[in-house]
Amino acid sequence: MTTVIREQDLEALVVGVTLLGSGGGGDTGAFGRMLRRRLGDGELVLRDAADMPDALVSPIGVVGATSVLMEKLPSGGEFDTAVRAVSRWAGADVTGLMPLEAGGLNGLTPLIAALDLGLPVVDADLMGRALPRLDQFSWAVAGRSLTPCALSEPSGQVIVVDNVDAAGLERAVRSFVAHTGGWAVLALAPTAVEAAAADAVKGSLTRALALGRAHAALEPWATPADIADGLGGRLLASGRVEQVARHLIADGGAAFGRGSVCVVDSTSRAVIRIETENEYLLALVDGTPAVTTPDLLCLLDRRTLQPIAVDAIRTGDKVLVLALPGPTWWRRPDRLTHVGPQAFGLACAPQLLEAS
Amino acid sequence: MTTGRPGLSPSLAAMLTSPGWSDVVVLGGGGDPGTRLTGSVVALEVSVHPEPLDGQVLVVLLAGDHTDWRIDALISRASAAGAGAVLLAGVEPLGRGAQLLAERLQLPVLGSPDPLAAHEHLRRVTAEPEIVRSDLVLRAVSALRRANGDLTSVLRTTSHVLERPVTLAGVDGGTLAGEPLEPAERTALVAALPRVPVGWAAPYRVDLASGAVLIAVAVLGVGPVCWLVARLPAVVPAEVAAVPEVLGVVAPAVGERLALRRLELERDARQRTSLLGELLQGEPSEATRRRAVDLGWQLDGWHTGIRIGADGHLDVAGRRTDVVEAFDAEGLQAVVVEQGDGWSAWITAVSEPTATEVQEQAATIRRVQRRLVQTVDAYVGVGRVQAGPSGIATTLAEAGDAAGLARGRAETGRFLHVDRLGLAQLLLAWTRTDTFQPAAQALLAPIRDQPGDLVTTLAVYLDTESSVAETAAVLGIHRNTAAARIQKIQHLLGVDLTNPDERLALHLASRTTPAE
Repeated sequence: MTTVIREQDLEALVVGVTLLGSGGGGDTGAFGRMLRRRLGDGELVLRDAADMPDALVSPIGVVGATSVLMEKLPSGGEFDTAVRAVSRWAGADVTGLMPLEAGGLNGLTPLIAALDLGLPVVDADLMGRALPRLDQFSWAVAGRSLTPCALSEPSGQVIVVDNVDAAGLERAVRSFVAHTGGWAVLALAPTAVEAAAADAVKGSLTRALALGRAHAALEPWATPADIADGLGGRLLASGRVEQVARHLIADGGAAFGRGSVCVVDSTSRAVIRIETENEYLLALVDGTPAVTTPDLLCLLDRRTLQPIAVDAIRTGDKVLVLALPGPTWWRRPDRLTHVGPQAFGLACAPQLLEAS
Repeated sequence: MTTGRPGLSPSLAAMLTSPGWSDVVVLGGGGDPGTRLTGSVVALEVSVHPEPLDGQVLVVLLAGDHTDWRIDALISRASAAGAGAVLLAGVEPLGRGAQLLAERLQLPVLGSPDPLAAHEHLRRVTAEPEIVRSDLVLRAVSALRRANGDLTSVLRTTSHVLERPVTLAGVDGGTLAGEPLEPAERTALVAALPRVPVGWAAPYRVDLASGAVLIAVAVLGVGPVCWLVARLPAVVPAEVAAVPEVLGVVAPAVGERLALRRLELERDARQRTSLLGELLQGEPSEATRRRAVDLGWQLDGWHTGIRIGADGHLDVAGRRTDVVEAFDAEGLQAVVVEQGDGWSAWITAVSEPTATEVQEQAATIRRVQRRLVQTVDAYVGVGRVQAGPSGIATTLAEAGDAAGLARGRAETGRFLHVDRLGLAQLLLAWTRTDTFQPAAQALLAPIRDQPGDLVTTLAVYLDTESSVAETAAVLGIHRNTAAARIQKIQHLLGVDLTNPDERLALHLASRTTPAE
């Protein structure tokens, strides 16, 4: 099955990848506009792995501080540089791309890269949503090495990392971006598409597109329950944000902004508390854990129905709190430990929506 | 962990006033302050999944971050388990979410810097009231042994042990020592207590409208009955049961202190009274003077005597302090001595006071009387200023006479000052009183209904300095008629008009009767 993306689909795609971001994943708006410019009136095919045997695909995306991306814009050459570097090191040419992460702006960056480099895109990614750490790539969880890989940053600097595990790569990437431009393009080694897709979440961008289309079809005056139904999720609350608390915690050298959002449902007066890091991680309804990662928690503006990111949510916002099913790839106990609440230091068993 | 016994569960509001919970604060979820706390269960961490709690308090010993989501989850689980409240280590405020949740679930969330102590206290109060009781009694006994002599110190020690205000109150609820009671509490207490306590140290419990409780134990001993009262701001059953026991232990100690104080008072009073007696005898001997100096009395100078009497039975020695305090309050340095059914007092000035000063002083003494009237139904006489040691006797005698007159004269506020005009005026004034009128009537009764207007004749005869001729002239009768009437008067009254005493009495009596 292949999905074709044209200009009229972009708006839905952007909303879709934002919803998969679960409150994180960076600002998709700028990359949406960039993609629209690149795409023009052309089209982009999201291919199935089976459709392109013998291809060597490289998962690609942006790592680092996505907020800096808006201040230090891409030069346009980073994707090319990273892909060339990793090809040269691996000794094999990249003949296809796939996203590292489907949620947030990294759902869009591989498409821009694919247009720039003239390469096909496989609709499979290593997360199926947005997640903060490199050890949460499905490849790493499945035991596949993430190296060799190449990083290129906007001023042209390139490094290739090899012979290191996911945690070591994480450290290398963080220190690299921290001492350069704050973000970099990461390209993993060219891999036979069959193997690459076997340990990846398939169809995430197609799902993003479907979610975005369902979102576009919503009437602004629809009831909260209808909106949840329309997006195929569960409504946790519709109400006002009573408090947003943010604080930094040191987490193994990398500081993540931990915080919480408190929403009171305007009808039932139920108290919903959402624990956050880069994404919305855990929702408690009246103190009882209701939904956790890897399912998606989305806060939508009650009026515009636009998703609100973790760093944009404010006290007083009127919001809908929705839970959407996360990628099924993660719904295996051995995989859940890598992306469930415990993986974020939240002592709580994973609470997932009923598989639909 | 067992649930407390029925009937011992205090309300949350009451526990929050309890001394053992003085450092416990409410962090959120007001809930119903009347919630009964049936016991206490302790848990180490916020991740606890409690058993059914049935109104017990869930105490969590480690709760580092009160804004953590696990607090919210704990509140939810504790509420589901039926906890009466949750008590967390630390007093940092809860996150907004936890506050809203606690309110929504009506679950009080408390905080304490020492949660284990709070747990232990609640457990005892709900499950082991006899330990609470014996602990308090033992602490009271050992603290009292260390407390030094006076009554205030005994009350303070008791108050410290109970961590509640303790008062020694009279039968009228007035404060004798310790922290005064509120007027409303005083009224309720007096209404509940018997005038004469029926048994030794039978404790009385007075429940006030405010929810507070007064526990009163009678202190029996020498002197009037008084009550040892502890005020508990709310009902914690174990405490309400324990406090009477403690007061029962303290009451004899208070009684003993009162007896000792009484003894001192009596001894001092006897000393003063006997010394005054000697002074009144006449010129003081050297020994008398020395004793006067010992007591701080100044015999030389100008003295103004004051006599304070009181109606009804009065504890003259015991209430002397009131009198001294009343003088002090008005800025008068008076020597006050218990004498008979009242007090004799005098004020000494180094130089002779001027007329204005005397008037001002009299006005001040009057204010002293007004102060005293609040507790003692006093009548006051003030003598003239007299010099020297013998002057004390003179001025006190005048004051005594004035006081006797003042007693019946409600129209002058039962206050009389013998000023420079002298006693005669006073006596004359006295003839207008209700006391004298009947006496005068009785004195003149034999001649009242006789022919010849003998009463008028007698009055004129005495006014004209016993001159028969003058009397006849005034009345317009013959000299012989006048003489005959005088004879008849002497005969009927059985008096000798040449005797000055009898003549004075009749003269005064004749002053009153024409008024009729």
